[in-house]
Amino acid sequence: MKKSAPDQPNIDRRRLLGGLGAASVALAGAGLCPMHARAASTAEVTRAPGSANTHQRQAFLGQHQSGIVTPRPAAGMIVAFDVLASDRDDLERLLRTLDERIRFLMQGGPVPEVDPRLPPLDSGILGPVVTPDNLTITVSVGESLFDDRFGLSAVKPRQLQRMTGFPNDALEADCCHGDLCLQFCANTPDTNIHALRDLLKNLPDLLAIRWKQEGSVPVQDPPPGQPAESARNFLGFRDGSANPDSTDAQAMDRIVWVQPGSGEPAWAAQGSYQAVRIIRNFVERWDRTPLQEQEAIFGRRKASGAPMAGGHETDVPDYASDPKGKVTPLDAHIRLANPRTPESQRNLILRRPFNYSNGVRKNGQLDMGLLFIAYQADLEQGFIAVQKRLDGEPLEEYIKPIGGGYFFVLPGITDAKDYLGRSLLAAASL
Amino acid sequence: MKRSFLAAALGLALATPAFAANSPLDLVGPISDYKIYVTDNLAKLTEQTQAFTAAVKRGDLATARRLYAPTRVSYEQVEPIAELFSDLDAAIDSREDDHEQGVKSEDFTGFHRLEHALFTQNTTEGQGPLADKLLADVKDLQARVDGLTFPPEKVVGGAAALMEEVAATKVSGEEERYSHTDLYDFQANIDGAKKIVDLFRPQIAKQDQAFVAKVDKNFATVDKILAKYKTKDGGFETYDKVSERDRKALVGPVNTLAEDLSTLRGKLGLN
Repeated sequence: MKKSAPDQPNIDRRRLLGGLGAASVALAGAGLCPMHARAASTAEVTRAPGSANTHQRQAFLGQHQSGIVTPRPAAGMIVAFDVLASDRDDLERLLRTLDERIRFLMQGGPVPEVDPRLPPLDSGILGPVVTPDNLTITVSVGESLFDDRFGLSAVKPRQLQRMTGFPNDALEADCCHGDLCLQFCANTPDTNIHALRDLLKNLPDLLAIRWKQEGSVPVQDPPPGQPAESARNFLGFRDGSANPDSTDAQAMDRIVWVQPGSGEPAWAAQGSYQAVRIIRNFVERWDRTPLQEQEAIFGRRKASGAPMAGGHETDVPDYASDPKGKVTPLDAHIRLANPRTPESQRNLILRRPFNYSNGVRKNGQLDMGLLFIAYQADLEQGFIAVQKRLDGEPLEEYIKPIGGGYFFVLPGITDAKDYLGRSLLAAASL
Repeated sequence: MKRSFLAAALGLALATPAFAANSPLDLVGPISDYKIYVTDNLAKLTEQTQAFTAAVKRGDLATARRLYAPTRVSYEQVEPIAELFSDLDAAIDSREDDHEQGVKSEDFTGFHRLEHALFTQNTTEGQGPLADKLLADVKDLQARVDGLTFPPEKVVGGAAALMEEVAATKVSGEEERYSHTDLYDFQANIDGAKKIVDLFRPQIAKQDQAFVAKVDKNFATVDKILAKYKTKDGGFETYDKVSERDRKALVGPVNTLAEDLSTLRGKLGLN
């Protein structure tokens, strides 16, 4: 039984097509047929929305993979895969093909044409010339890739581990973990989808999707003359206000990138630990919560994003003069996550989250939340330590982490002849 | 002379394909052979459906359950041809989720409606009319296929269509959700696809020997995994017995076969 149009006998389909034929003849005069007449008034509604940014391009080559300190565009997507390769040679073929496709997709260009009797090489959803549209695809690997299949266990990053549930988690097995993870970021979701379909078509024997989560961040017209603001999450609060400065290379070396001599395998230098969490938000309940309670739970003003004492989003909250939590409650989200003490400087992470919306749950409530993505040089000191401090926070009443995983982002490559993941395989072959 | 007449009757496009090594006439033989294969399968389907529906009607639950999966094999092997008559395909082989009201839908008939009664409700009671209709629909299918000119692109494209079936509903265990006899269908779809590749093997090999080798290798991988679950009576274990590792191991070759066989029509110069 075909999955599509199951109840439609061919006869009906033919009748429908016949009807359409007649309709298209009738409409040709009205300007639907571009060969004969271009009537702007009828085409306007379905015209593609304009963007001056489809040619924006991020560099593929570099000491670090792009898509981490790169400014976050509006559309993000995480896809975790099972690797189907049966041996090390297959795994190398997977990495080489991935590398080659990612280079093309991030660069853009015309899609080769093939005989029309064959399936086209490209889905065509971006047209015959692929536009980069600011695309980055960031490749990371999960702990399970280092099991007995490929002989990589000796070179596993020291802290790479299978994510285990925190007390408030309700992890669902079919949206957790993976051998390989790809983070797609672009100006539009279509660009990410196009890239994913390209990879699936080119790697049918080596990759199987395990789970996928798309997300977005609201686009803003920044107010003139004011500092840029963080995007808002689906709870209506600014998210990322205390994020470290991703343009500060020294800070990034300290916080995000694994450094040589840090105790990690040598190949892993300039890589990063990636923590992904699908965090469901109970938005109906949240929207029925008094504003002052919402602000107390987060520890920020909702409208401005400023600390509870007021001011600007970028102002640093002064916890030292508020030891009892009279201004910012001691269990407020931002105070627990980042207590701003000298010790907690070791726990800084770089967040790069997106909001997600997946339809409606069985109970009739909206299925939406935060696709949390964070990068750090030290997973234990980074996300895991921060999350442990957050365990039991009042915000838990409104959120439920249901999926995600820990991955290790492969180091970037600087030589055009190299490929992503070569250094990992080479280290295992020593 | 006779061959070119046959080619015209079969509607073969005689335009020179970009893949020039094959003459459309080369396809006439395999297509005739395929029609024989389909005809044989449908004869067997009618015979076995007769026995299956008779068991349902006489209230022999155990026999009806035993005959259910093997009876479907002939259908699954030639599904792309059966699907040319989509009214019958819907009547014979639709699943619960093809209907808005699920199992309660009036128009949910055929094998899977009976499967639900036999394996979920554990009864044959009240199933007589559905059994009669199934047999009548199968006989109708047989008669219609008898009078059918096989379109070459549908025959060759059938190999890919069968792999799409496997990828969409067999790997997930959705096809036989009450009886869990999915492996019968799985193997039947694979065998049906392989039959098509075998019939056109010389023509494909002329185009692309490496392609044939790759396709054969993936068929062999699938067969090898499925063989682990064969039972002594010639049947298969239920799908829940298939290990997570084997399910994963099936995904790669199945998707690759779907990709590769999707180029078969083009490779043979068919429109």
